[in-house]
Amino acid sequence: MEALHIIGEEHQSLAAILHAIRFMLKEVAAGKLAADLKLFQAMVHYLDAYAEKRHHPKEDLLFHRLPQRTADGAEALAKLGLQHAAAPQRMAALEQALAAYVADNSRFDNFARAFETYAEFYREHMMLEEDVVLPLLRKHLTADDWTELDAAFRAEMADKSGKDGKAEDFSALFSRLVDCAPAPIGFGPRPFAN
Amino acid sequence: MSGKVLVVKDLSVAYGKVEAVSKISLEVGEGRIVTVIGPNGAGKTTTLSAIMGLLPSSGQVAFDGCIEQVPEVERMVVRGMNLVPEKRELFGTMTIEDNLLLGAFQRNRHGHRDHLETMEEVYALFPRLKERRHQQAGTMSGGERQMLAVGRALMAKPKLLMLDEPSLGLAPLIVREIFRIISELRRRGVSILLVEQNARAALQVADYAYVLENGMVKMQGEAEMLRNDPRVIESYLGLASKHQEMLAT
Repeated sequence: MEALHIIGEEHQSLAAILHAIRFMLKEVAAGKLAADLKLFQAMVHYLDAYAEKRHHPKEDLLFHRLPQRTADGAEALAKLGLQHAAAPQRMAALEQALAAYVADNSRFDNFARAFETYAEFYREHMMLEEDVVLPLLRKHLTADDWTELDAAFRAEMADKSGKDGKAEDFSALFSRLVDCAPAPIGFGPRPFAN
Repeated sequence: MSGKVLVVKDLSVAYGKVEAVSKISLEVGEGRIVTVIGPNGAGKTTTLSAIMGLLPSSGQVAFDGCIEQVPEVERMVVRGMNLVPEKRELFGTMTIEDNLLLGAFQRNRHGHRDHLETMEEVYALFPRLKERRHQQAGTMSGGERQMLAVGRALMAKPKLLMLDEPSLGLAPLIVREIFRIISELRRRGVSILLVEQNARAALQVADYAYVLENGMVKMQGEAEMLRNDPRVIESYLGLASKHQEMLAT
């Protein structure tokens, strides 16, 4: 069940980034922190490139195995399928709000609202996966299923090219985000440089 | 005992007439991360303290193939065991570099003169410490203090590093980074005994786990097995902990 381990790891990383953006938005809104626009951009990029392009394809691979073993969870799977399919539009809305804020800082509230919408959606999305689908996978998939899925996940993890063909070291990016994020959520503040 | 850096048998610790830890047995294999999870007051910190020789105990502690009849702190450090305590216990008015050097004190006293090389290894692992090396430790943020505490322990070049609640009080972003570094330490050959209330994070990084409740080992097994055990999910990885993690601000 290494595949479940990897999904859990990725959820923790994504939850940490969501938490960090939310914290910084609150601090900026309260006038306690000067906004680092490049850091916001890098974190939103992480959500896009890591969650939508690398994490969801792995989940699709995993979740497609469930209907082959049981009818349980069909409703949740259908919902998750629609949510994954709508990922590009969802991310585009967040990126557009951020771009508008970068161009005009009076659009801060608009970006903060767009982020809250995204974060709340994503929290519910991960909870649905962890509370409904992952337990069903544990219960119904066979040892052979896990052998195949674990091998597929390992291959995907080894393939640094990603689905979009762009090489990106997400571990290094994550470390840079931690380094630049302001205390107490990170080791900064320090300006994020591309 | 081959392949085991630490073997603890029937370890018991009592505070007066109250037994805080009762006949605990656990092992840490070379190059492995072993975690002890459990609720507050389960005896996790007491267990680490007794192994390290900070508390009187009964039972047997064998470290690196040699039985310690009465574990004693200084001897354990010299032999290659080190503890990063929950409260970090840094010297706030000393510089970061001086705090690190203190970590090499026992090793240096026993004739090893490799502390500067070791410090560069620590700086390579924690570049932030190098940047701030001349600043007082008391000026550091919580995450930086945890890094310094780990770095100071690494200055003793431990075979076994024991970490007591390294994620305590830290934001999710830093917790992820701390656990990434713990994985990196394993890759470098350091064996790790990790005590954590954050079971979710601990079980993600560990190879093997013990569940401690009321001073006794209630469950144990490969971390992957425990991650998928309904009782562990219900008690330690359930809805409440996930909500807490995902909503924490």
